Amino acid sequence: MNESRVQAIITKEWLDMGKNKMVLIMMALLPVILVAMILGTAWLMQRTPEADFDPNTGSSGMALPAELAELGAKTGTMVLINDQYMFYLLLIPMALPVYIAAYSIIGEKETRSLEPLLATPITTAELLTGKIIAAVVPAVVLAWLSYLLTAAGMILVASPIIVAYMVRPVWTLSMALHGPLFALLSTACGVIASSRLNDARAAQQITALFIVPVIGLSMAVLMGRVYINLNLLLWATAVLVLVNVGVLWLAVRLFRRETILTRWK
Amino acid sequence: MIQAMNLTKRFNGLLAVDDLSLEVREGEVFGFLGPNGAGKTTTMRMLSALIAPTSGTALVNGHQIGTESQAVRASVGLLTETPGLYPRLNAEHNLGLFAKLHGVDDVDGQVRRYLTLLDLWTRRHDPVGSFSKGMQQKLAIARALLHEPLVLFLDEPTSALDPEAARVVRDFIETLKGRGRTIFICTHNLNEADRLCDRGGVIRQRLIRVDTPQALRQGLYGQSVLVRLQQPAPGLETTIAGLPFVSSVSAVEGGLRIALEDPEIHNPDLVRTLVEAGAAVQFVEREAHSLEQVYFDLMRESEAPETEVTA
Ligand SMILES: Nc1ncnc2c1ncn2[C@@H]1O[C@H](COP(=O)(O)OP(=O)(O)OP(=O)(O)O)[C@@H](O)[C@H]1O
Ligand SMILES: [Mg+2]
Repeated sequence: MNESRVQAIITKEWLDMGKNKMVLIMMALLPVILVAMILGTAWLMQRTPEADFDPNTGSSGMALPAELAELGAKTGTMVLINDQYMFYLLLIPMALPVYIAAYSIIGEKETRSLEPLLATPITTAELLTGKIIAAVVPAVVLAWLSYLLTAAGMILVASPIIVAYMVRPVWTLSMALHGPLFALLSTACGVIASSRLNDARAAQQITALFIVPVIGLSMAVLMGRVYINLNLLLWATAVLVLVNVGVLWLAVRLFRRETILTRWK
Repeated sequence: MIQAMNLTKRFNGLLAVDDLSLEVREGEVFGFLGPNGAGKTTTMRMLSALIAPTSGTALVNGHQIGTESQAVRASVGLLTETPGLYPRLNAEHNLGLFAKLHGVDDVDGQVRRYLTLLDLWTRRHDPVGSFSKGMQQKLAIARALLHEPLVLFLDEPTSALDPEAARVVRDFIETLKGRGRTIFICTHNLNEADRLCDRGGVIRQRLIRVDTPQALRQGLYGQSVLVRLQQPAPGLETTIAGLPFVSSVSAVEGGLRIALEDPEIHNPDLVRTLVEAGAAVQFVEREAHSLEQVYFDLMRESEAPETEVTA
């Protein structure tokens, strides 16, 4: 693996990304909407009277898991809802790379630039590595930025205990570990779909399949069935690593020089 | 420089290139002619180690395609059928990427050199998508030259251009000749091949013939002169046909077509004989067969074996 060639690809991808308004808008939209939604909800709830959160009589009352019961109805509910939102922040590294990767690969098809590119001494692995890094890094950075921004905003709109729960180890670790893993997974799906299916939308649909378990888990959390703890986090990490290895292996296998060259018309 | 040995390429049963053996010498400009779908681009892709042959092999710059593909790619430059530039990136960045991928030492210097050489230096910061087709084609040629390859493949370098831009590109290609660089050009433009190439090959799945443009013409027609006469002179034909160096004589509108071994040597004798025989000679001209005519004749000739191959 020749690092300077990988670097050349990354530089080119980022230069191109910076000039692609569609991709830039897509990349900015999701984080902005999520951060605004999370902070807006917290701001509203903070200003709602305690009585409304009573699980039996209040209009916003919810059944709380045992771990949160001791916080009281209002704080407990806010933490619960915030926990669910943290899953949505994890959707950022999952949703963005598929756009970036699909654009970067399908873009090469549209401009017919792949043939001159493959006529250089670059290896398929180098090209793929460059493209994957170029898609994963901005998505992860944006996810982390959104998390930090939400935490900072939370200090302003909600009580310190909510902030403390938002940055408890399960979430910081999840952002640190799952963020990149989701991004990698989604990029690999983008590569597979766009090198095989000739259609950016198909790539996004495949990635949507991976979003389902995440949303499912977030619903279970909201309904008080599951409480996120370190044990669960480790299991999720292990599963994600395995799925990643499988999907990346497939992506590398499917991304064959001659196939992509002769079938990408 | 390029040595193709029995190169064959099938795409799912479709025979694109059939048993092609060919040698292109160092410093030579070789024209590759053939109709649409003849397998020109496919051959070029095999020779630049982009796709693998179904069977057969080739040596390019001493490296074998297939086993030393990376070395082949490092030592050749390829201008693809479509320029394939990145439209949102500027000219400098488009070239910079390729200079880096080829491991060029002085990336900036080499990029500046070629942008200047092709009159694109002042436009270096503009997105390439805003360039005219001619400018894009020049940039794409520059991109293939950045690493100073010993072998240059040009796939239809002027086909998408207006006559003006085509001339600029053709002139530039002419400047690339004779610097030890071997150039392999696919083209449909026979005049271009005539002007640029030292030798040419005509292909239609199989390689039909390889020779210099002149020899391709001569091989088909021999050499002949047209003699224009003020009025037809009966009996003249037999007199001329009796000359030892004349191979055939035929009457044409306004005169005679005379095929002979070497017009430069035999024309004086021919003219003297004509005048002595009482012919009123107006003009004597060399009959020029354009390569185009040769091409069509070769294509017609190749029809018969062609149907056998596919049958
Ligand atoms: N990737 C591919 N898959 C299937 N068939 C192909 C592929 N590439 C080329 N062919 C077929 O191989 C034959 C030769 O194609 P090629 O592009 O080499 O011709 P060409 O001489 O370059 O033609 P043109 O003058 O139109 O550029 C054609 O019949 C073409 O349809
Ligand atoms: Mg072609």
